[in-house]
Amino acid sequence: MATVADPAEAGAPTHDGGGRTESRRSRASAPGGRRRHGPPLLAISPFYVLFAVFGAFPVVFSLYLSFQDWDGIGDMRFVGLKQYGWLLEDSVFWHSVLNTFEIWFLSTVPMLFLALVLAFLLHSQVRFTGAYRVAYFIPNVTSMVAMTVVFGSVFAQTGLANSALRMVGMDGVGWLSSEWGIKVSLSAMIIWRWVGYNALIFLAGLQAIPTEHFEAARVDGANSWQTLFRVVLPQLRPVVLFAAVTSTINGLQIFTESQVLFQSTDVGTIGGPGQEGMTIVLYLWQKAFKDHQFGYGAAMGWVLFAIIAIFTLINWRLVSGSDREDRGGLRSLLRRKGARNGR
Amino acid sequence: MPHRTMSRRGLLGASLGAALLGLPGCGAGNGSASAGTDHLSLWYWKGSLSDKLLATARRAVPGVPGLRVKGSQIPDGDIDSKVRTSLAARAYVPDLTVVNSDNLATFFPDENEFLDLRTLGAEGVRGEYLDWKWKGCFAPSGRMIGFPLDAGPTALYYRRDLFRRAGLPDEPQAVAEELSTWEKYLAAGRALRKGPGKPYLVSNVGNVFQQVLLQSPKQFVDADNRFIGDQAHVKRAWDLSVEMLRQGLSARIVDGTPDYNAAMGGGRVASMTTAVWAINGLKDTAPKTSGAWRLTTMPDGPANYGGSYVTLTRYCRDPEGAFAFVKWLLGPANQLKSYQEMALFPTTPAAYADPAMHKPDPFFGGQRPIDVFGPAAQKAPVVYFSPYEETANTPFFQELTNVESLGKKPDRAWRDAVNTAETTLSRLGVS
Repeated sequence: MATVADPAEAGAPTHDGGGRTESRRSRASAPGGRRRHGPPLLAISPFYVLFAVFGAFPVVFSLYLSFQDWDGIGDMRFVGLKQYGWLLEDSVFWHSVLNTFEIWFLSTVPMLFLALVLAFLLHSQVRFTGAYRVAYFIPNVTSMVAMTVVFGSVFAQTGLANSALRMVGMDGVGWLSSEWGIKVSLSAMIIWRWVGYNALIFLAGLQAIPTEHFEAARVDGANSWQTLFRVVLPQLRPVVLFAAVTSTINGLQIFTESQVLFQSTDVGTIGGPGQEGMTIVLYLWQKAFKDHQFGYGAAMGWVLFAIIAIFTLINWRLVSGSDREDRGGLRSLLRRKGARNGR
Repeated sequence: MPHRTMSRRGLLGASLGAALLGLPGCGAGNGSASAGTDHLSLWYWKGSLSDKLLATARRAVPGVPGLRVKGSQIPDGDIDSKVRTSLAARAYVPDLTVVNSDNLATFFPDENEFLDLRTLGAEGVRGEYLDWKWKGCFAPSGRMIGFPLDAGPTALYYRRDLFRRAGLPDEPQAVAEELSTWEKYLAAGRALRKGPGKPYLVSNVGNVFQQVLLQSPKQFVDADNRFIGDQAHVKRAWDLSVEMLRQGLSARIVDGTPDYNAAMGGGRVASMTTAVWAINGLKDTAPKTSGAWRLTTMPDGPANYGGSYVTLTRYCRDPEGAFAFVKWLLGPANQLKSYQEMALFPTTPAAYADPAMHKPDPFFGGQRPIDVFGPAAQKAPVVYFSPYEETANTPFFQELTNVESLGKKPDRAWRDAVNTAETTLSRLGVS
């Protein structure tokens, strides 16, 4: 490390002048390399000490735990891969996986689209744009527990959502008592919370696109739809990738919304009717912290990790693609679709 | 220059050293959260103990020279995990902690984490406490790991005005006689539905399922760790609940939701079967119905639903002092005070005779709740709860909700509940 850094230092003398550079150099090459790296390492130590204690250790310990049977207090019993075997046979677990993906899809797709639209609107010249940005970001920093209580009244039988439906002459929906009602309600809460956050990220991406590109597109006679798909989206690709990956990671870990919405202090209602609101993390929480099956919970955590890793990879491939045409991701997908449509 | 570097490094080194020294400090002492202080520590959640009595104990426990106990409020949703975490870490364990009735049994597999109160002379005060509550303090091995805090005797809460309008008997004594069994309770529900306003008998059937179960000494897992949830006592509770749904007597609303509040306040639900601690919730939910409610004996007799225990952990620094404190805090005189201050229902029957407990309650039209809950508390059955009770009964409550909310076929739901419970329990060594 020292040798890589040295030429740069030598080539660009510091304001102290050459003499100081010289002395620093000789110190680095001396056996006292530890003396040189020691202080900076020590200075950043609060991070890695805290990370080791609160980040790395729990991760490693949960892996160890997933091969044990443990109620949280007594002795651990080694059970090998049994927890994973049980998990794969657990119909509630698979139901929670399916629910999680359904809710993730119902929330992420409209949310990213809405965020993109919002970002476009914020990007255009409007007054009080700063106030809008703050307003859209506020849901993201609001207590989800408190908001879930509010959403609970919105989606109640006699709540705001059904009153609105009745006003336009439609029947009320059992938002919290039917399979798709539950999923749409949960998705609405997730959209509400994350749309502003992603809009701001998209906005930052939009602002980084040079105006020349838009001007060139206009000169070439592109309409706004073509500008969006041929100019903006390709330029936004890294930003879309970031938003898609973080949305996947967050979306697959949905917990608070469902836990608070269905009064989980009462075992009979965890996950709502038919457990249609049972997500993977909610089930993990129930098994580990309600039933005290910590090994089972840990195993579930690792299966969830594997699922998220796989889907992040898929996202990556789909959105970023590569330079090769045969697996070109979103761009070539769009291009191929265009070709099919005869354009 | 070198001097400055040294001092900076010295500062960093010193702070890191201090941090490292601080870490083992966590494990100092004998593992008690009160190590190195002049008091014992007690964990409880808001509303589970009298604040006034705890304030007294903070200064000095009367009758125990030099003893101080400091209560720390832990959110009721967290206390169980916090106790478990501290026990697993063997550090910062409270000397005493309150444990909910549902959770005491979950500590049976780790009963040695708690002191056996018999060794501290608990038998000496046994006569002052309700028999079934006392028996609930014992782990299957015969060690007494809990001490009786409050009780949760149950009653039938009903709307006198709605019963009268439907042509049903409306005075507590007459209602108790007319609705002496669950079958007769259902018949009253049919009359309500035919009467004016068509009120429902119950908000949902979960509470009925729960109460019928609690009237049985057997629950889902027996003392020999065998699953008995597929037997007649559970099936009867299930069938009654399903029958109630089939006859359209349930409003099919989850308790505690905005819909529930609207239904209770709006007179759409005419009765409920639950414990004494539900009174305050009902008063908050439906203040406008004050004066319309009455209490009477539950169909098929009383049961106990909820109520807590106080435990001494094995890290307790002063077991004799802690037990003296428990005897003072939970003796008949102070249980009476706790009832007056916090509405904690005493587990010491001597308190029931006190005039302070016989105050008429305007919410129940001047009826004295103790007239119903006192006898109920004395007649509740002795019930065995296994450590795996919640794991075993969760599928049944969930499937009942499926029948109630989603219209799932009851037979299919029953089979699914039994299968799920059996599979889950088999992994925990319950056959």
